[in-house]
Amino acid sequence: MKLAFQIAYKNLIGSGLRTWLNVIVLSFVFVVIIFFNGLIDGWNQQSLQESIKWEYANGYLLNNDYDPNDAFTIADGHGHLPDSDTKNLTPVLIRQATIYPQGRLKSVLLKGIPAGQETIALPTASLDSSHANIPVLIGKRMAETAKLKEGDQVLMRWRDKNGTFDAADVTVHRIFDTSVASMDNGQIWMPVERLWELTGLHGQATLYIADSDFQTENFDGWNFESQDELLQDFRDLIEMKKVSGNFMYIILLFIALIAIFDTQVLSIFRRQKEIGTYVAMGMTRMQVLRLFTVEGAMYSVFGVVLGMAYGIPLFIVLSRMGITLPEFYQDMGVNLPRTIYPVFGVELIVLTVLALIISATLVSLIPARKIARMDPVMALKGKIQ
Amino acid sequence: MSTKQILKLDNVVKKFPVGDGRYFTALKGINLEIDKGEFAGLVGPSGSGKTTLLNIIGSLDSPTEGKAIVMGQNISELTHKESAKLRNIHIGFIFQVYNLLPVYTVFENVEFALILQNVSASERKKRVMEALEWVGLQDLADKKPDKISGGEGQRVAIARAIVKKPDIMLADEPTANLDAKNAHQIMRIMKKLNEELDTTFLFSTHDEKVMKYLERIITLKDGSIAEDKQVTPQKTLK
Ligand SMILES: Nc1ncnc2c1ncn2[C@@H]1O[C@H](COP(=O)(O)OP(=O)(O)OP(=O)(O)O)[C@@H](O)[C@H]1O
Ligand SMILES: [Mg+2]
Repeated sequence: MKLAFQIAYKNLIGSGLRTWLNVIVLSFVFVVIIFFNGLIDGWNQQSLQESIKWEYANGYLLNNDYDPNDAFTIADGHGHLPDSDTKNLTPVLIRQATIYPQGRLKSVLLKGIPAGQETIALPTASLDSSHANIPVLIGKRMAETAKLKEGDQVLMRWRDKNGTFDAADVTVHRIFDTSVASMDNGQIWMPVERLWELTGLHGQATLYIADSDFQTENFDGWNFESQDELLQDFRDLIEMKKVSGNFMYIILLFIALIAIFDTQVLSIFRRQKEIGTYVAMGMTRMQVLRLFTVEGAMYSVFGVVLGMAYGIPLFIVLSRMGITLPEFYQDMGVNLPRTIYPVFGVELIVLTVLALIISATLVSLIPARKIARMDPVMALKGKIQ
Repeated sequence: MSTKQILKLDNVVKKFPVGDGRYFTALKGINLEIDKGEFAGLVGPSGSGKTTLLNIIGSLDSPTEGKAIVMGQNISELTHKESAKLRNIHIGFIFQVYNLLPVYTVFENVEFALILQNVSASERKKRVMEALEWVGLQDLADKKPDKISGGEGQRVAIARAIVKKPDIMLADEPTANLDAKNAHQIMRIMKKLNEELDTTFLFSTHDEKVMKYLERIITLKDGSIAEDKQVTPQKTLK
């Protein structure tokens, strides 16, 4: 085996440009696979963290009559906990409303939250400084679709607790920027005290957001969903994304392996006199098989080494500086942070290295078997077609 | 001269399939014995079967009928591994086109034969330099094959074959690509190795210059031995 490595190494180094072309292609595939994996991992981790920071905190205490996936439950899905129980809980009251920006009709979710809350990153504190009658916060996406700017007033219509319609102008106090689209799209945030007044639902909440000091307890009529449970859908989505991502890596890998395979098959013709000479000098079939398999595998090893040489500095820089995406990606409705910090884990790198080397070895084995079984007389005459 | 037998061919027949289930008979019952230390040549017109016969003796090919015993081993009965071992230890090949490995230096080309025999690095160095000295190429040890002349290339090929001190050297038209001066030089080197190391040589050649050195001339015609005679070499080292 040592012999195969020695000779393979020399042959590869000795054949110059041809080797380096393969090695460059392989290193590129290696780097691209790791780059995209790292990007997606980083994005996922960031999105999870952003979701926790902006939306879920430590979990939700949901009113039993409220189902987040069913808009019809909003009307009656609310209640209130005795004050003594609301320690470490931030109430959110959700109502349906309609706004009329530039005379167009748009349904929104009206969400009340205490201006003084610090459980989620929503910049509610600024609402306190507003002198407007009804100050609200909206996200960038909402501002975009409703064509609203900070300071704009827009007519809003809602129902009070008896189902009677009421209407008033609300003032856009601040537009916030979050990567968590589900806190933004179609939503208007206002101080919960104001929403209680507007609807007559004093002290009521659709859900409570738990902060990190919250201890899980049983509350009659309420159902606690932990951070983990809330993030489950998100994690499932990540798994799905990974599967479709893998498809791309397989295609990339395939391209790289074709390069090796092609080189090996060409060797059958191009190097037949050399192979005949090996046999004439007393190399066994097994030794020839090993030699050509190791040569193929060695391309991938060189590819990995070269890939690491320029990839690792690149990965380090990218994971520090992050990748800032152009504005328009924000409009895709996914939770895409402005700047993604890729995460390049050891596991990712090790698995990619293994995948590359193992597949290169397997791919080399097929032509190498053919090479080892060549008729040495024909090979020496250069007559193998 | 020692009487140790290197090879014995007993009614060796070689048929090549030529399509339609038909065969071309390249060797038609060859009987031949060669003893240790001989300096013999197969001569004959093109297509008479010289290369075919050398390939069988070198266990690169096997006879269709008959027995080819080389170093006491029946070629037809060897496994791939055994025939590789026979070539590795007992047989040195020299080809018309030198077949040097282009990515290796002269030194490494010669060393290759010893690497295949698992000889230690220090021993290899000693023996490679010794072999290069035999062919007068110590100074070219670090050159790549494409940087040396044809005559030098063939001398490297001789060094590579002789470095492992094989029992028999099989040289298929070793001078065909060389001019007269180089051809004579090559033949003198081989004759010297034959005398000093008692290595057996079997050539295949059309070259008059080669024939002048031979001590035995085996003439092949249409796959049969037409004549086999001991001769007094016209050229010797003196
Ligand atoms: N694989 C093969 N298939 C069919 N015929 C073959 C094969 N190998 C050799 N022959 C034929 O066998 C005959 C002997 O070939 P061989 O190469 O041994 O001749 P040679 O004496 O070495 O000739 P030359 O002096 O041209 O090298 C030739 O007619 C050749 O065409
Ligand atoms: Mg021939």
